[in-house]
Amino acid sequence: MSALLDHLPEFWQGLIVTLQLTAASFAGAAVMGLVIAALRVSPVPVLRGIGTAYVETLQNLPLLVLLVLAVFGLPEIGLQAGLQVTATVVIALYEGAYIAEALRSGVNAVSSGQGEAARALGLTFGQSLRHVVLPQALRTVIQPIGNIFIALTMNTSLAAAVGVVELTAAANRVNLLEAQPIPIFVGAGLAYAVIAACAGLVTGRLERRLAVVR
Amino acid sequence: MSNVLFDEPGPRARRRIRIATVAGAIVLLALVALAVRQFAANGQLAADRWQPYATWPMWRYLLGGLWSTVLAAVVSAALSMAAGLALALGRLSRRPWVRMPSAAYVETVRTIPVLVLVYVVLFALPRYGLDLPLFWKLVVPLTVSNASLFAEVFRAGILSIERGQSEAGLAVGLTHGQTMRLIVLPQAARRVLPSIVSQSVGLLKDTSLGFVVSYAELLYSGKVLANYNGLLIQTYIVVALVYLVVNASLSKLARTLEARQPRRRLFRA
Amino acid sequence: MVSMRRVAAVAAVSMVGLSAACSGTDSTSSAVPGAPKDNSVIAQAPVASAAEILPGSTMEKIKQRGELIVGGSLDAPLLSQQNPTTGEVEGFDADMGKALAKYIIGQPKVKIVNAASETREALLSNGTVDVVFQTYTITPERAEQVAFAGPYYSSGLTIAVKKGAAGIAKPEDLNGKTVIAGANTPAIAAIKQLAPQATIVTFGSDPECVQALKQDRGVAYVQDETLLVADAQKDPTIQVVGSPFTTDPYGIGLKHGDDQFKKFVNDWLTKIQGQGVWQQIWKGSLGTVVQGEAPTPPQIGSVPGS
Repeated sequence: MSALLDHLPEFWQGLIVTLQLTAASFAGAAVMGLVIAALRVSPVPVLRGIGTAYVETLQNLPLLVLLVLAVFGLPEIGLQAGLQVTATVVIALYEGAYIAEALRSGVNAVSSGQGEAARALGLTFGQSLRHVVLPQALRTVIQPIGNIFIALTMNTSLAAAVGVVELTAAANRVNLLEAQPIPIFVGAGLAYAVIAACAGLVTGRLERRLAVVR
Repeated sequence: MSNVLFDEPGPRARRRIRIATVAGAIVLLALVALAVRQFAANGQLAADRWQPYATWPMWRYLLGGLWSTVLAAVVSAALSMAAGLALALGRLSRRPWVRMPSAAYVETVRTIPVLVLVYVVLFALPRYGLDLPLFWKLVVPLTVSNASLFAEVFRAGILSIERGQSEAGLAVGLTHGQTMRLIVLPQAARRVLPSIVSQSVGLLKDTSLGFVVSYAELLYSGKVLANYNGLLIQTYIVVALVYLVVNASLSKLARTLEARQPRRRLFRA
Repeated sequence: MVSMRRVAAVAAVSMVGLSAACSGTDSTSSAVPGAPKDNSVIAQAPVASAAEILPGSTMEKIKQRGELIVGGSLDAPLLSQQNPTTGEVEGFDADMGKALAKYIIGQPKVKIVNAASETREALLSNGTVDVVFQTYTITPERAEQVAFAGPYYSSGLTIAVKKGAAGIAKPEDLNGKTVIAGANTPAIAAIKQLAPQATIVTFGSDPECVQALKQDRGVAYVQDETLLVADAQKDPTIQVVGSPFTTDPYGIGLKHGDDQFKKFVNDWLTKIQGQGVWQQIWKGSLGTVVQGEAPTPPQIGSVPGS
């Protein structure tokens, strides 16, 4: 236990980096997901193709491969950023593909009669999206997006492999010094579980709030 | 195409779609061209940097890595499906002393990164005298983690079977176990098949953690190759393409399976 | 355990089969230093007399098995690096393992078990591997858990920077700077000790570290001297500064308490050093990137813990 307490500053620092990675890349993933979902349901074939290609590529590559490629490959095309920034962007792009799919299936789950009815009432495209389709779609995607958030949190640990000292890397370093793996890794695991539990709480509450009693 | 958002396009809409198509294509091509040009400007497209990947020995080595990847994925998929089914049944059990531990396992393990589990097996267990061979150092954490994910897939599948089915089973005098085995599970299995395949894609991707364990799967083979020929970027691009081809084929299979049945998928990968 | 062995065996067999099927398409990149193609060195290596393989000893067990199981790496250039073209593991450590196998068995039959540096003690004590050849620095702490024959080689950490970078000549200069090191390498502890104010960034492999140095992810890269010399030779944009600032005597890891086997291995080491085999192994591997003649091997048993 003392190994954990002696190195609290390192753990704290790692936890902060993990939280930064999680928050920033989730925000990025949400934006990216929205854009890609929009592409995938757009009436323009090329845009749809781009959206599909994006989702297919990102969902079928291991995040670790993407991270390594981005960290070492992007500077070669003149795009160099700090390690943590690169990792954040890569995780955001990767999870964006999953959020896009969740959103798309949410939109598709709204029965087409709803959209037709909205248009029949003379609502514009924007209005029917805002007042009719999205409110119903969001309700069904809260749970999937909560799951994506948890997956994203866990995936931030892979940033450790490209030199970002987040929680997992911090735990590994402390373990190299103290050689007390059990308390150290259990502590790190618990921290992730707590983050995930918070996410679960929030999604549960949101879902109850938006639930429609039929 | 979903019709929630649009009606069939009329003449003006079609014209706008054509314009957007052309504009989109131009932007896309411009971006690709820019990236390629930058890459070439840095000498990363030079023929001698790619030439090794036109030779058979390099591919033979990478395919050996792919074989190890597939092996690790298949073994851990089989083990975690078995464990996942047990956990799912346990979580649906009427006995609290079975239900509670199963639920606790699923809910906890689902929220712990596989990498942390890998580190436990890699660093913690040897300390207590349990030093697994490399293969199992990768497969054990993957199994522990994926069991909880498969459990949720199976549970969702079992719950999706209409109550009338099991009620009918009980009504004709089958026991709970028989109803589950003979009536609910066969139907549930068919329904969760697409989710299982796409979950397996996720598992296959997770085997890239062999990179950390130094189990010679595809990504680690790429690392050894890059160490040998110093072509870091080219090697990882080739490795990425191999993953893409394999996983895209599996995803395609999942979609085909899904299209064959009326129900929608229950879970994401 | 069994299945992992089987996997390795299957992989090995398929590689051998495939390489037999398509020899002649050999065209690896030219950027490969020190890949000795001929095993003439091993051919000259001695074989122990029957009297030296004592009955009931570890050597006899290995001889009966017909294969020496070595804990090592596949991705350490110049030391123990798998050649993807042939499937062979090449380098100084790998050739030492082959020479020892030949000494015991009569043929250089080696199986390398990929060992992470944290698990070597466990691999030795539970008998998964017979010996460890893996830049295994002899320390008194480790000697409480394993036995060390040797040292058979002595190396040290040094610093590489981008060509033309100024202001870094010794480890103390790294204070307050960002330094690149290989994950889980001894460099991390050494930097922490000599330059406590340095920020350390770690990457998984040597090419990644070199790439990171070239992309300015850190101002310096701390690694074993021989590796850095090889890197600097491959890539003219980086250079090695100063001379090694640590001394790492590498030992041959053996099971703790097996004094008979330890003496046997030490005798073998003396023999191959006397016959010049050690020197030739050095020339065929590390010597391909380091100028000059083979160094004098370190005195056996000269280090605390050996």
